[in-house]
Amino acid sequence: MLAVHFIRRELKERYRGSFTGFGWALLQPLLQLAIYAFVFVQIFKARVPGAAAPGYVPFLVVAMWPWIAFSEAIVRSTTAIQDNSALIGKVALPRQILVLAPCAASFVLHGAGFLAILVVLAIAGQGIAIAKVPLALLLYVPLFAYALGICLTLAALQVFVRDLVQIVGQLLTLMMFAAPIFYDRTNLPDRFQILLDLNPFTFYVEGMRNLLLGYGAFPWHGLMIAIPVAILTLALGHWLFRRLDSHFEDFL
Amino acid sequence: MSNLLISAVGVSKAYPRAHLAADRMRSLGRLLLGRQDADAQYVVRDIDLSVRRGESIAIIGQNGAGKSTLLKLITGVLTPTRGKVEVFGSVGALLELGAGFHPEYSGRDNIEMAAALHGLSRDELASRLQQIIEFADIGNYIDEPVKHYSSGMVVRLGFAIIASLKPDLLITDEVLAVGDESFQKKCIRWMEDYLEQGGTLLLVTHSMYHAQKLCRHALWLDQGRLMQFGDVFDVSQAYLAWHERKQAASEQRPAQRFGVEFEIVDLEINGSGGNQSTMLEFGGTLLMKSRIRSRDGRVPVAMFGIVRADGTPVYGVSTDMDEVSVQRLSDHDYRVEIEFVGLSLLPGSYQVRVHTMDTEGLRLFDTLERGLTIRGESREFGLVRLAHRWNHSAGGQVD
Repeated sequence: MLAVHFIRRELKERYRGSFTGFGWALLQPLLQLAIYAFVFVQIFKARVPGAAAPGYVPFLVVAMWPWIAFSEAIVRSTTAIQDNSALIGKVALPRQILVLAPCAASFVLHGAGFLAILVVLAIAGQGIAIAKVPLALLLYVPLFAYALGICLTLAALQVFVRDLVQIVGQLLTLMMFAAPIFYDRTNLPDRFQILLDLNPFTFYVEGMRNLLLGYGAFPWHGLMIAIPVAILTLALGHWLFRRLDSHFEDFL
Repeated sequence: MSNLLISAVGVSKAYPRAHLAADRMRSLGRLLLGRQDADAQYVVRDIDLSVRRGESIAIIGQNGAGKSTLLKLITGVLTPTRGKVEVFGSVGALLELGAGFHPEYSGRDNIEMAAALHGLSRDELASRLQQIIEFADIGNYIDEPVKHYSSGMVVRLGFAIIASLKPDLLITDEVLAVGDESFQKKCIRWMEDYLEQGGTLLLVTHSMYHAQKLCRHALWLDQGRLMQFGDVFDVSQAYLAWHERKQAASEQRPAQRFGVEFEIVDLEINGSGGNQSTMLEFGGTLLMKSRIRSRDGRVPVAMFGIVRADGTPVYGVSTDMDEVSVQRLSDHDYRVEIEFVGLSLLPGSYQVRVHTMDTEGLRLFDTLERGLTIRGESREFGLVRLAHRWNHSAGGQVD
């Protein structure tokens, strides 16, 4: 109940005072997509490898929207405790909620944006497997758990180590390019393949592409790893947060 | 034991050093390993407190005594470093000015947010919203962002929210002082009702008037330790007396006082010594006795004076002005006694002072000060009643 209130508050706050309001939620990733699509399609002449391959735009979309939700959740949650220091020193409330709110808000916002753009792509005849959308959304469950685990860890550590937020931005960029978001696994020389397997996000990209575009095989092997990784990360984040949370106000 | 509301056992709170990045890293490591911090600064130490439902306790003490920290420990905003705090009921806390308000949000949005924090559902909130807005009484500002509020309005809104929640335990931390006179009265009236209906109150205040009006018990903290707990009148008097002693020690008594030529040994007012303030009925008799020690055996001049609590002199007179001398007890000991019959000081707070001067009445050597409260009811203005007569009507003579 309280969590829902905080998520609503977070959503409201993000676009309060801006003219287009929630429109930005869709507009911003669309602009980003337009830039990437232009750079990769027009300049680098990127083409999705394989016969009967989907166009580059849907190929990029199904990987990029989950990534935006994931990375934005992490960036925003890292400073969640620090940003709410006024509340922490004065009101008794479960602090996890303060981290959960920005994390969940990012997923809600970009989840909705994802659905909207899938509908647009389907209407445009880009071969989206609408029937499999619910399955694709199911992938968001372990992704969210994984993100929340990271968010809790980073938010708690950020209270003590203020440099963290700077490092996180860099690491996320690295992680983005080290996942097959802009390219396909087959674009990469064999000796780098191992990097993709080490990157937890690879599974989500390949899973989405299989389900929504029918591109590539479903990464069953990745699923077997992704679920325990998500659970362990969440457990670790929860443990660390609980350990530190009663001391936050001393360091804010 | 079912009516126990707060149980605090051996509660201590220490703040770690958190200035430098290196300190923070070290603290983080310690916390992760579950170790205690060695060089922490204790602000509250070993407080035991159990509060039953329906009690009202004022928490008094000078600035930095740990009052607010203790309240924060009870509300659960802070976690005790050692010891344990348990609260068996709902808590409504007004900890600091604007606590928990989002400055960018309107008053209405903040009410909603506070209601959610206190676990109210939307329906419950809807039924109380009007009542909250009426109690706060800040007009159209309710739809303005809180950052545009004056500090008084913030308190009004905060108190209105807490008032509508009717928590089992109400905690307020010196916030009443910000509201204007009429709002303070409203709050006090509300708190009196609340206490009558069985509510429990913890009040941090510097106003002994508020403490005595609202609370039955008082808890006096100094440097994080419990100095005294008991009846509000006993504790507040002990606290004020301690303050006076402290002030006397730092101001009126220079360090070289011992061995001054004419030292005031004691001052007795209407038969009572010590440092307590004296109470006297309007028009009563004020009898002051003092003993003076003369180092060289020379005869001192003694002076008595009365000043108002703010320092305005009311009256002063010395032995040499009236050409009397102090009474000699032995070579070095003298005694002086003065009596004001039918004291015409109007009701209020005053201080009486005794000074010693050298034989010539030129140099001041020692001063001792004591509080004096004149009780009584009078609608007259000023400091003293002057003898007067209304000449145009008969029977109105006062002298």
